[in-house]
Amino acid sequence: MTQLDTISVKTSDNVTLGYTVAGVGSRIVAQFLDNCVAIPLTIVAILLAGALAGTFVTTSEGSDFANAAIGIFAFFVYFGYFFVAEAVTSGKTPGKSAMGLRVIRVDGSAVDFGAVAVRNVIRVIDFSVVLVGLVVMFFQPQTRRLGDLAAGTVVVRDRTLITLAAAASPPPIILRTPDAGPGISGIERLGSFEHDALRVFLARPGLSPRLRASLSADIAKRLMERLAMPADAPERHWTPELFIERVYLQLDQRLR
Amino acid sequence: MNLDAFIGERHARWEELEAAIKTARRGRLRTQSASDIERFGMLLRQTSSDLAIARRDHPDTPITEYLNTLCARAHPLLYRGRAVRVGSIGRFFATALPRSFRAAWPYITASLVLMLIGFVAGWIAVDVRPDLRSSLVPPSLFDQMARGQISTGVQDAPFAAAFIIQNNIRVALICFAGGVFLGIPTAFVLLSNGWMLGTVAAAVRLGGYDVQFWSLIVPHGVLELSVIVISGGTGLMLGDAILRPGQLRRGEALARVAVRAVMLVLGAASLLVIAGTFEAFVSPSGLPDGAKLAIGAAVGILLYSWLVLAGRKPRRRRTFAFDRPAETPA
Repeated sequence: MTQLDTISVKTSDNVTLGYTVAGVGSRIVAQFLDNCVAIPLTIVAILLAGALAGTFVTTSEGSDFANAAIGIFAFFVYFGYFFVAEAVTSGKTPGKSAMGLRVIRVDGSAVDFGAVAVRNVIRVIDFSVVLVGLVVMFFQPQTRRLGDLAAGTVVVRDRTLITLAAAASPPPIILRTPDAGPGISGIERLGSFEHDALRVFLARPGLSPRLRASLSADIAKRLMERLAMPADAPERHWTPELFIERVYLQLDQRLR
Repeated sequence: MNLDAFIGERHARWEELEAAIKTARRGRLRTQSASDIERFGMLLRQTSSDLAIARRDHPDTPITEYLNTLCARAHPLLYRGRAVRVGSIGRFFATALPRSFRAAWPYITASLVLMLIGFVAGWIAVDVRPDLRSSLVPPSLFDQMARGQISTGVQDAPFAAAFIIQNNIRVALICFAGGVFLGIPTAFVLLSNGWMLGTVAAAVRLGGYDVQFWSLIVPHGVLELSVIVISGGTGLMLGDAILRPGQLRRGEALARVAVRAVMLVLGAASLLVIAGTFEAFVSPSGLPDGAKLAIGAAVGILLYSWLVLAGRKPRRRRTFAFDRPAETPA
């Protein structure tokens, strides 16, 4: 996930959380989905206000006023939708929710009324003339629009990309020697770090035999350095792949 | 610890936290009791400490990523600002709004000065070249009303009010949001509003129906111009935060100021509802000119005594640090 932009938030427990920033594409889709609610809402509001005005306005000047008033009323209904939707849902409007996005403050807390007010008042500017917000989002490393910058907010992904079941059972490791072999001296110098690294290597499918052999030789050499293995040790006569597999199996038993 | 043992020992609480996140609706936890929230907080703290361990012992494993996502989703459910209640709206108008008005006085003064510059410039322009006044005075609802070209009948008054209110709210919001562009649009709106008023005022002075004009402007204008000056001040506040962020990064400085500014501008904009009502019903009404001017003066006195006096803290006897009793740890 390193290719995606992230922001780091330090929590009060002094643990750093990484949030994946929402991309421009998913935000545009979320905006489109929200528009599917906001635009019909605005049209209904215009029709209702028009019907109301029609029954009361008698003069031509009055209808000029009424038209202008309805126009600006529609503007407030449209932008008001986003304001209310964000305030009520703490940053998960229907469109954002459908896309698995959420607005949070840059300190990782939920948006409060003030932040929602700021980013939605400035939304008017972000959507004006040349879609300034979109241009700013393209160049801002965290894809924030002007309203986000002013309110100190950021739109992040709020969806589980990985389940516990998938994370807990990584792909099976590919072993050719089922036996752990004779005990390797100095194995206690290795720990869970090496164990996990070897597991990643051994679980990796689709390596060509030549590449696998050369990587194994490299890894075996480093392991021997860490094991402080004497030059005349019998393990040095094992093939690198056999050596790695046996180190892994023995580590796995030790750490269990 | 072995990764499998680590997962085996702790996965129950991760699953519990995940289940609790799933019950959240509309970005909020749906918990029945305080003990549920306490439980959620404990689970989050435990899981984030598991995350720290996983980062150290098992970096770049799927489980570390899983724990990070879990904590990242749970965090904003627990950590959030104060909820808005109906009672807090009353408190906002009683204390918070007047206080932030006073705190922003340098910007509001600057905003007033900009508007006065526009006013004086407009006045002088019409005074020097009265022959050009028809092109100098911008065509607007404002001056059409001033020339008495529009007669708002009683029946149309609510619509006129709605139009005026929304028009002014738009001006106020442009004044505020223009702050993001260093306050340049804000300054432009302030200068042009001052110019508009200045040219119209000078033109009607030449026509010699001063009193009628001001009686048409003053009842609502006191509120309206105050609101525009205040929102201009908030725009200048934002621009200043970007230009001179001090010790903070520009973004942080802007975000810090923006919440205070937006509260001020939204509070001020709500006054426009009152101003618009006056503009539609009082200003064009048949009341004698003197009464209209008196209403304007009364509104002004009420407005500024509220903004200047409300929400002040009671004056306390000055104490020194060593006079206070030593704080005892709780």
